[in-house]
Amino acid sequence: MIVGEQKPFEQIVKLIERYKRILVAGCGTCVSVCFAGGEKEAGILASMLRLEAQKNGRPLEVLEQTVKRQCDREFLEEMATKVGQVDAVLSIACGCGIQFMAERFQDKIVLPGLNTRFIGVTLEQGEWAERCAMCGDCILDRTGGICPVARCAKRLHNGPCGGSSGGKCEVGKDRDCGWALIVQRLQKLGELDRYSEILPPRNWTTSRDGGQRKVVREDLKEQGRIEPR
Amino acid sequence: MSDPLKPPAGAPGAGSPERPKGVEGPKPPTSAAPPKAPAIPPPIVLPAAGFPARPAPAAPRTTPPLGAAPAPFVPAARPPSRVSGVDSRLTTHDSRPAPPPSAPSAAPPPGTPGAGSPERPKGVEGPSSEVTLTLDGREVKVAAGSTILQAAEAAGIKIPTLCHSRGLIPSGACRICQVQLEEPRGKRLVASCTYPATPGLKVITDAPEVLEARKVIAELLLARCPENVPVRDLAASLGACETSFWSPDPKEDCVLCGRCVRMCHQVMEVGAIDFLGRGRERTVRAPFDERSKVCQECNACASVCPTKKIRPEDLWGHKPAPYRQPFEAGLGRTGTINRPFPSAVPSTPRIDRDNCVHFLTGKCGTCAKVCPAGAIDYEQQPTERKLDVGAVVLAPGFRTFDAGRLAELGHGRFPNVLTSIQFERTLSASGPTRGVVLRPADGKHPKKIAFLQCVGSRDRRTNPWCSAFCCMQATKEAIVAKDHDSALQSTIFFMDLRAFGKGFEAYWERAQRETGVRYVRSQIATVREDPKSRDIRVAYSDPSTGKPVEEDFDLLVLSVGAEPSKGSRELAAKFGVELDDHGFVRCPSLSPVETSREGVFATGMFVAPKDIPETVTQASAAAGRVGAYLAEARGTEVTKKTYPEPRDVSGEEPRVGVFICHCGINIAGTVQVEEVEKFARTLPHVVHVERNLFTCSQDTQVNIRKRIAEKGLNRVVVASCTPRTHEPIFQETLREAGLNRHLFELGNIREQCAWVHQKLPLEATEKAKDLVAMTVAKASRLTPLVGSTVPVHQEAIVIGGGVGGMVAALSIAGQGFPVHLVEKEPELGGVARRLRKTWRGKDVQAYVADLAEAVRRNERIRLHLGTTVVSSHGHVGHFTAELSNGKTAEGAVVVVATGAHEHKPKQFLYGEHPRVVTLLEVEEKGGLDLPAGGTAVFIQCVGSRDEERPYCSRVCCANAVKNALAVKTARPDANVYVLYRDVRTYGLAEDVYRRAREAGVVFLRFDAEKKPEVAADGDRVKVVHHDPSLRDDLTLTADWLVLAAGIEADKAANRTLGDVFKIPILAEGFFLEAHPKLRPVDFASEGIYLCGLAHGPKTVDETVDQALAAAGRAGTVLWRDELESSAIVSRVDPEKCVSCLTCVRMCPFDAPAPGADGVVEIASVKCQGCGICAASCPAKAIQLGHFRDDELTEMLRAFGSCGPTCGAPRPAADGQLAANTCTPGAAPVGGCACNPPGTRE
Repeated sequence: MIVGEQKPFEQIVKLIERYKRILVAGCGTCVSVCFAGGEKEAGILASMLRLEAQKNGRPLEVLEQTVKRQCDREFLEEMATKVGQVDAVLSIACGCGIQFMAERFQDKIVLPGLNTRFIGVTLEQGEWAERCAMCGDCILDRTGGICPVARCAKRLHNGPCGGSSGGKCEVGKDRDCGWALIVQRLQKLGELDRYSEILPPRNWTTSRDGGQRKVVREDLKEQGRIEPR
Repeated sequence: MSDPLKPPAGAPGAGSPERPKGVEGPKPPTSAAPPKAPAIPPPIVLPAAGFPARPAPAAPRTTPPLGAAPAPFVPAARPPSRVSGVDSRLTTHDSRPAPPPSAPSAAPPPGTPGAGSPERPKGVEGPSSEVTLTLDGREVKVAAGSTILQAAEAAGIKIPTLCHSRGLIPSGACRICQVQLEEPRGKRLVASCTYPATPGLKVITDAPEVLEARKVIAELLLARCPENVPVRDLAASLGACETSFWSPDPKEDCVLCGRCVRMCHQVMEVGAIDFLGRGRERTVRAPFDERSKVCQECNACASVCPTKKIRPEDLWGHKPAPYRQPFEAGLGRTGTINRPFPSAVPSTPRIDRDNCVHFLTGKCGTCAKVCPAGAIDYEQQPTERKLDVGAVVLAPGFRTFDAGRLAELGHGRFPNVLTSIQFERTLSASGPTRGVVLRPADGKHPKKIAFLQCVGSRDRRTNPWCSAFCCMQATKEAIVAKDHDSALQSTIFFMDLRAFGKGFEAYWERAQRETGVRYVRSQIATVREDPKSRDIRVAYSDPSTGKPVEEDFDLLVLSVGAEPSKGSRELAAKFGVELDDHGFVRCPSLSPVETSREGVFATGMFVAPKDIPETVTQASAAAGRVGAYLAEARGTEVTKKTYPEPRDVSGEEPRVGVFICHCGINIAGTVQVEEVEKFARTLPHVVHVERNLFTCSQDTQVNIRKRIAEKGLNRVVVASCTPRTHEPIFQETLREAGLNRHLFELGNIREQCAWVHQKLPLEATEKAKDLVAMTVAKASRLTPLVGSTVPVHQEAIVIGGGVGGMVAALSIAGQGFPVHLVEKEPELGGVARRLRKTWRGKDVQAYVADLAEAVRRNERIRLHLGTTVVSSHGHVGHFTAELSNGKTAEGAVVVVATGAHEHKPKQFLYGEHPRVVTLLEVEEKGGLDLPAGGTAVFIQCVGSRDEERPYCSRVCCANAVKNALAVKTARPDANVYVLYRDVRTYGLAEDVYRRAREAGVVFLRFDAEKKPEVAADGDRVKVVHHDPSLRDDLTLTADWLVLAAGIEADKAANRTLGDVFKIPILAEGFFLEAHPKLRPVDFASEGIYLCGLAHGPKTVDETVDQALAAAGRAGTVLWRDELESSAIVSRVDPEKCVSCLTCVRMCPFDAPAPGADGVVEIASVKCQGCGICAASCPAKAIQLGHFRDDELTEMLRAFGSCGPTCGAPRPAADGQLAANTCTPGAAPVGGCACNPPGTRE
């Protein structure tokens, strides 16, 4: 899931400063689950903005709406009416939702209420951690199911580096050394031989280095074009 | 101004010459047609408050005098016992105007005693004759015979009074209460407390002339009593802070209002005091300034004195002896009418007949006169009822030892010596000092407190047994006292610290470490009082040096023990039940709740001294035992109440009925309920509003049902008190009226408004309006809720085949239900198979064999030996457990009785030397074989009370003592030593400890820091004991060294089972019950129960208790055909659920779970309606019934709104616009009624 974090409230207040009517747009998928941009969060943020405006005697009207996913056109369509009523949209979806919203509503300014952090998992209620860096060429088979791209600060493919000590990363004592984890795991699995295998230099074009990425499935596109009778 | 000495005008019907012109007399009830005031909501209806028109000479009970309405506030007139010389007008009670002295015959004849008033108060309904008058421009309807003052009170208009007191005949003496009458012939001032409310009367209570006149009177009063605080306060409230008049005596306190004199003469009919002297010399005194011979010392005169001038000691020559509250252990004072204790059930106050003037002399009766509910009934008599029952449970409890019996401890002689019960009350917030720790002698805050243990326990002069609870009670009191005052130091003098219960060891460790409680292992030799400082000087021997020490304490608390309650002997005799030598009931060992008579069971302290958990457990055990005993009759005498089919209100517009409660004066005394009523009429969807004197009364319930029917109400709002006590009553009324009971909402305008804002009546009224508006707003959104029912699979699953499991299984089977008994070992019996005898000598082996045999023979019990539970699902009513033998067990309930085992010691040469054995091994061997003159040494607390196992294993002391005694008895020439830390032979087991010492077993104490040292000495074992009393070492050479190894939980197995049933376990590996004291055999999850060693160390007897208790608790579920879950449960909207599993993680009751399609479903049987899931759901997919978001936001919108027509600013109390004025178009602040819709979806 995409894990996001709401921007500091003061920053959001600044973002919307010049508008009188705004729409707080929530997203009901990933950011709901990580308590950053679901219906409840949208409601809370909208109420806080109203209170803040009232406290400072500023005229502000805040609408709110949450759709299933802001990364799909059909769901964005549901917001069209409300978007039409406001000066600006404050989206608390991930970066995709915010951009797609801006794409769909060309004449509206769409503001980000959220910082999109990473693709991660729920460790426990209230704690999320990164697991995938979307490099586009998965090597988890070699590393015992632990990703060196996401979990090594240097994305080393043949780690660890000299900064690994006591299983912790030199970047911060609160995070595990990804390679220490890989070695432990391989040991446990009895596949430590994989560790002696040197991973060749990576072609990073599948990652961000290759520019904006796109996945096209012609087969599915064909199916999508069939007109329903 | 009318002449104050003249009696006020009587009712015109009696032909009063002073009848105001143009005022009609009250009409007879039949022709009564109260004038209508169409523009104003119906005027309030006030019951007559006992100001009937001048009585007709005819007997009023048969032919009421014209206009004399039934007087709901006044119960039946009691027969006046006429005392010569006392005016007969007294019999007319209350505020009847004094007839002219020339017409004493006007008094009505006495009523019939005990007849009870036929016209019991009925809310505010019904006086047949009413008058309507105008008060400050408002029409007010009151029962005929009321005074202006009463009318004003009812209308919420405050008039100051001084000489007026409810229950006394108004005398109009002080004139503070005067008001202005507007009459055709002009205006005049009259005393409102005596002037009758006549039809058409126009009264101004706050005219400038009135205020000026009151101020002058106040100045005069102030001149008379310039330094009296109540007088100053009253004068200040009337605008007179200073006086221009001369003060003859600045020390004067009496305003000559005559309340005391009237009380003494009219009410008490005594006449012990009166006015003496004339003019300036006038005073209130007893005749000849001596104590009056007729004075009954009732203190009534002082109780009504508004200036606190009358002091009983002046009249009686001595101080009044306070009436001690028995519940407060003699510390608290109370009145003749009292609640026995704060949490009494029922909490209705009662009259102490032995001290009540009315019961002693037949006079007074003030309480009946002033009780607005007419609830006082002097005629109640004890009633005798015959009950036909199949079983009896005796639970007469205990009493604490009378510390006065040990005169040397000073209780009763030195005020700063308290019992632990008295100190407990001192610590209690509801106690005599309101939770402030004060010492009785001088009210100082004590800084040093000593507790003395075993007062009336373990003492052959008094009670030889151990009372079992006092060590922990003293520890708790020391901790709580420290909470009250952090500078306080507590010292506990004890013999053995008996912290044997679950979690107790940790508790007293914490008391030492964190609270700094000092524990001194010494008895107190003498107790003296320092006559000056009132400190208590105690002498004891310092355990570290053995030297005598004297130390001063501010307070000494005697930890008094328990003994059989007063009358328990008679009770036992009545039921033919045998008692033991101590007076406890003789229950056979291993059948703890049975008595010597079949069908009669006993429980609690009556059986033996015990702490709260054991008492609660045993109570359930007795109930469970009776459940099995009377299994056939179970449920046969239950009559099920039937209700009409609830009306379908879906699609109906909300029609809200609002019932506003006066709660006597509890609410109406502060909140202007009439205003609230008016306001409620303006609220949306409200079609009916009324006020009731007591909305919770029976007749109001009838009335609510009537209103529901005639007005077609589909939502009901009651604005009264806390829902905690009264909501069920109203919900029941709705059900009876054919409405779903969740179409009801209660607004709390008493605890949350009237009571907390008594000093701010105007603001309280505004707040009450808000509360009503919010309640109505929520009510109009309410939807009917119906709980789901789940069928009960009437079987039980018992896990564990030891004594606990077998007893539970047999008891449940005895109650008539099939049982799956799952035992992991191939054999039944558990750890008890290793035990020989209980300390009372009962053969455990035979007992276990009998149990196992009974289990095998029982047709209802299905045995799964050598089997464990692999997985389970379900909930109370229907659990399904997959077993390791491939079978499936289903049951409505689960009893966990998985037991524990003896710890295997890793010290004291155990396992290395053949002569070192554990206690259970000795039991298994059946004793120890000692050579002549041989030596046996027992070491206690092996693997208990240490770092690894910080708990006390509870059973080892009694078990070791029993075995030591057995060795000594078999071989009197042997040397038997028990090395111990504390001998914890609690309760009646103290007896075996005493016998062992008498037999010559030597008990030697060691410190935890200096444990005995053990070394092999050939065939024998050398034990070096470090004795803290001798401060020297002793070397013992033992033929046998017996280690009292502690009890250890099966951690891994318990963890697995904990995961299977989602039940919690403690760090030590024992299971954690729902509440250690109040729910000792329940788990927090419904339908799962706990017993035996799996819960914690305990004796076989206690295991049997707990097993019976678990079976009893299980029976409460099993015997039902279906379980009704609460209607107030959470529901998931599958459309919105994003399956984030937050609710699954947050729910404390394991109710939500991912369903088949990935969406979370909430098991409504498990849901307790706490709302945690609804509050935490990020997608707002969960709503809790009756607390839905829309219901709650609607309440918030209504808060501070101005009712249905927005834009009209609501004036606040001070006449300014309220801060929360609602203006249309403005940005909504937290929402309001006119908030443009559609801002939210």
